[in-house]
Amino acid sequence: MNERILTELIESFGDLFMAALKVSLPLTLASFSTGLVIAFLVALAQIAKIPVLKQLVRVYVWIIRCTPMIVQLFIVYFGLPSIGIKFGSFTSAWIVMSLSIGAYCSETVRAAIESVPVGQLEACYCDGLTFWQAMIHVIVPQALRTAFPPLSNSIIGLVKDTSLAYNVALVEVLATAQRIASRTYDYFWLYLEAGLVYLIFCSVLTVIQSKAEAALERRR
Amino acid sequence: MLNLRDVCKKFGSNVVLDHVSLDVNKGDVVAILGPSGSGKTTLLRCAGYLTKADSGKLTLAGKEYDMNRISSKDLREYRKNVGFVFQNFNLYGNKTALGNVTLGLIVSQKMPKAQAEEIGKKLLERVGLADRMDYYPSKLSGGQQQRVAIARALATNPDVVFFDEPTSALDPELTGEVLTVIKQLADEGRTMIVVTHEMEFARKVATRVVFMEDGEIVEQNTAKEFFENPQKERTKEFIYKSSTWSTAASEDAAVEETV
Repeated sequence: MNERILTELIESFGDLFMAALKVSLPLTLASFSTGLVIAFLVALAQIAKIPVLKQLVRVYVWIIRCTPMIVQLFIVYFGLPSIGIKFGSFTSAWIVMSLSIGAYCSETVRAAIESVPVGQLEACYCDGLTFWQAMIHVIVPQALRTAFPPLSNSIIGLVKDTSLAYNVALVEVLATAQRIASRTYDYFWLYLEAGLVYLIFCSVLTVIQSKAEAALERRR
Repeated sequence: MLNLRDVCKKFGSNVVLDHVSLDVNKGDVVAILGPSGSGKTTLLRCAGYLTKADSGKLTLAGKEYDMNRISSKDLREYRKNVGFVFQNFNLYGNKTALGNVTLGLIVSQKMPKAQAEEIGKKLLERVGLADRMDYYPSKLSGGQQQRVAIARALATNPDVVFFDEPTSALDPELTGEVLTVIKQLADEGRTMIVVTHEMEFARKVATRVVFMEDGEIVEQNTAKEFFENPQKERTKEFIYKSSTWSTAASEDAAVEETV
């Protein structure tokens, strides 16, 4: 590594970091929160055994889990315009990633809800609560605690998966690195630096996870 | 006060309850005894609408309910008037002792939080847990958890409280504190139905004893008559076998003393 590369890396670090902060992180948070809502609705539809909906969500989980995310991205971004539906890069990535998180996490959430002893649901009924009130006040809060570590896994995975959006023209961390490197030909160093930026963001999430787990543990 | 008429329940082809009828008067403490698999817990769960009976009628305070089908409005009204205590406590793991007692009042009865907490505190004091109100269930002993569960069942001041083997999941050392609370409720004249294996408790606290086997009520009588003067062979055998060991043990002790 010579002085020129060092200067280039220091200058580009700001660009990569801002790309992460302004594009990759918002995409992660938007997709994860939407995905989590989908995951809970899918899990509850299965647990509450709502007819028709129960079968529909199974088909949804099946299709999303059994096709690659990059193919889904291509279908939404490059495919849908041919039938007149157009989404921008960010919106396409957001839609696909929300659906993906929704499908994967629904299984996590379902297992977590089922891990709460069924007796507590019966106790809620005896207390006059409805199924949905019991879910909101008693079952889901405890399920969230159980689901927290695997859900943290999913969000950390999602931070890295946002790099797939590079393929639908979203200028996130990887695309930023690529653009700089195509000018200077320092691919090796720029891609290393892109990796470092992901490492930093995921490390922060890892620390948040362990702090949050400790805080949850105190409330039981 | 509470009448069950011709309650029937099958699990598959297995008849668990066969036209069981039971009348409970105000202030009665009914102990339901019987071997495992006799249907006593199922009867209690059907009366609490936790298991749907195949058929049967239930009357509480003059209002009749179908045990196989009930509207959600009737069910809400019925549940306000009965309390249920489980074998495994089933406390809400995400709520403190006080939160467990007040949840139903706040969410289902739409009571303001402050008012619900006032009731909750009084009830927890009554079961001797004034100093444990802010504890989560995982930090309480089994006996304390069951006492919280009793306070929770009393929150709406129900007409009848059902107990499903309230001490079966407890260490022998801890059964006393729970039975003491139930006895205290009995002394206050609360109507209760207790499925139990505690013969001493049935003998001393119950006003009436119901003996069940194979989905039927074999014999029912006042507690005194039931234990001192059982009518049916099967009941005699049950009482004899249940008490043989302790009788034998105390006889041994008596023999040793004379020696």
